[in-house]
Amino acid sequence: MDRRITLEIKNIRKESKSVKTFTFSYNLNAKPGQFIMLTDFECGEKPFSISDCTDNEFSITVKKIGEFTTRLFQLKKGDVLSFRGPYGSSFSLSDKVLLIGGGYAVPPLLFLSKMLKKYNADITIINGAKTKEDILFIENFKRITDKVFFTTDDGSLGNKGTVMSIVSPLLQNEKFDMIYASGPEPMLKKIVDMCDTIPCEVLIERYMKCAIGICGQCVIDSLGIIICKEGPVLDKEVVKRLSEFGVYKRNASGKRVYF
Amino acid sequence: MDKKLKVEFLGMNLESPLVLTSGIMGLSYSSLLRMAKNTAGIITTKSLTLVPRKGHKGPVIAEFNGGILNSMGLCNPGIEDGLKEVSEFKRYSSKPVIVSIFGNSIEEFEKLTEYVNHSEGDFIELNLSCPNVFDEFGLPISASKDKVYQIVKSVKSISKLPVIAKLSPNVYNIKEIAISCENAGADAICLINTVGTGMLIDIKMVKPILHNKFGGISGPCVKPIAIKLVYEAHQCVDIPIIGVGGVLTGEDAVEMLITGANLVGIGSGIYYRGVEIFEKINDEILQVLTENKYEDVSSLPYLK
Ligand SMILES: Cc1cc2nc3c(=O)[nH]c(=O)nc-3n(C[C@H](O)[C@H](O)[C@H](O)COP(=O)(O)OP(=O)(O)OC[C@H]3O[C@@H](n4cnc5c(N)ncnc54)[C@H](O)[C@@H]3O)c2cc1C
Ligand SMILES: Cc1cc2nc3c(=O)[nH]c(=O)nc-3n(C[C@H](O)[C@H](O)[C@H](O)COP(=O)(O)O)c2cc1C
Repeated sequence: MDRRITLEIKNIRKESKSVKTFTFSYNLNAKPGQFIMLTDFECGEKPFSISDCTDNEFSITVKKIGEFTTRLFQLKKGDVLSFRGPYGSSFSLSDKVLLIGGGYAVPPLLFLSKMLKKYNADITIINGAKTKEDILFIENFKRITDKVFFTTDDGSLGNKGTVMSIVSPLLQNEKFDMIYASGPEPMLKKIVDMCDTIPCEVLIERYMKCAIGICGQCVIDSLGIIICKEGPVLDKEVVKRLSEFGVYKRNASGKRVYF
Repeated sequence: MDKKLKVEFLGMNLESPLVLTSGIMGLSYSSLLRMAKNTAGIITTKSLTLVPRKGHKGPVIAEFNGGILNSMGLCNPGIEDGLKEVSEFKRYSSKPVIVSIFGNSIEEFEKLTEYVNHSEGDFIELNLSCPNVFDEFGLPISASKDKVYQIVKSVKSISKLPVIAKLSPNVYNIKEIAISCENAGADAICLINTVGTGMLIDIKMVKPILHNKFGGISGPCVKPIAIKLVYEAHQCVDIPIIGVGGVLTGEDAVEMLITGANLVGIGSGIYYRGVEIFEKINDEILQVLTENKYEDVSSLPYLK
């Protein structure tokens, strides 16, 4: 049985205008890619990736987007929240790796990059967003490796263009053991399509309710993979066979919403 | 599939007596397909309503020792989209599908039935556990033998498919309700839906765990209730029974069959034993048959 944990917010760090990192003192024992279900018992219960996790604390990094996250942004140090988890699959560790992050889906890659550094991996990171304000963890990633590239659609930071403008040439010149990707699904789709021979793991987000693999809300076509249990991190060989991937997802009612 | 598991249900030959029950892994075609591949004999869709429903706010689930409390709030994409999932399912599988529908009035049940008539579903199941609709005496419809009779009767008069009535355990006299269903022409009954409602509290935050406060109870702790109600229903009706509630193992399934069920529904069991539960229980049923020297599932005795 999964136990609920109630924790005080130990620290809040502002990452950008609309993104905050919340830290809690607790040995969550999570792996990179896993998520927790978070509730305030008022505004719902929502999944968040773990953006950092050590023996005595863990963090989540939240983008303010709707009712629940707006409520989170009003909370202060010392306020309490209720958790369950960690849930789901995690990224594996490899030696020479490329991390590709897009927009607000980068938090799990921060945790992953820290684990990879401990593992002494040779790490390259590409982090892209619409504009400079939306790029997360610039300094954190620079501390992980010298090989960090930023891209923005408007050119306000790093390369002008999408992450693909760096990925494509990079893959022609260098060989990686593993590519990890977390970002908007159309971006993930391009990466998966490109990784013919290179192993690749991607993090897929789907609407979640029970998070214990029974309600069927997060199941993805055409293989019926249960994202809350068997995901959110999936191997590209599985992802390639998912007819839903990059095409549509399901909303709270289960209705298809096309990308 | 082993021949010993074969059963007949309303004129259909099924590979196994196991049914994926409504509301578990039943929202999308690929989910239903996976359960069918994992050797459920029949699969049931999530209960579908005329318009899409987002369901309740979370938390919608709370586990406790012995069971699960849920207040999903009947989230579903609506009958039109739900039936599209059924036809997509049928492109890949010939397994029978029970389309579960849920209405707030007789008229809604009738409209939903018209949709299902034009679908590729094989059976129609009426989820009668409506928490918001009451009869003239203030009873919820599922507990009112007259309301249940009226709904089943009107659906039956227009349905092109066999009609299964799904009953709530939260009734004073299940026999009355089961007999009403049979008299109204139901082809089969399915019981039980979730028990209660119940409630759980977070002692640190001093809040109900479910956002909806109350939720239906399922899982191992409801098995004795399900067994008793299936027993009583079996004593007073001749139509087939789908026995549901707290079944986790082959022994549980055989217990349900011996009590009077023709088929056995699996829901919360998926939480305890994964989606492979159908394969596991099928294997375990075979073991129980061998150990107790029964020829096959059809030759299991019935409790008198
Ligand atoms: C595995 C996983 C990991 C995630 N990690 C993070 C993270 O690290 N940081 C972060 O900011 N966000 C993350 N999200 C998304 C986060 O759950 C949503 O942003 C949040 O639920 C929005 O709630 P809201 O009430 O503020 O907005 P709403 O207005 O309710 O929703 C805005 C959008 O958020 C998404 N969303 C809403 N509810 C859910 C739900 N129950 N399950 C999944 N998606 C939902 C939908 O795409 C929706 O359109 C993750 C989602 C998943 C599935
Ligand atoms: C999460 C969840 C959702 C459910 N949704 C429905 C539903 O939509 N329609 C329905 O008739 N029963 C629904 N049920 C009830 C189950 O079909 C079943 O009758 C009940 O859970 C008892 O069986 P179990 O102990 O094997 O789960 C739901 C149960 C659960 C746990």
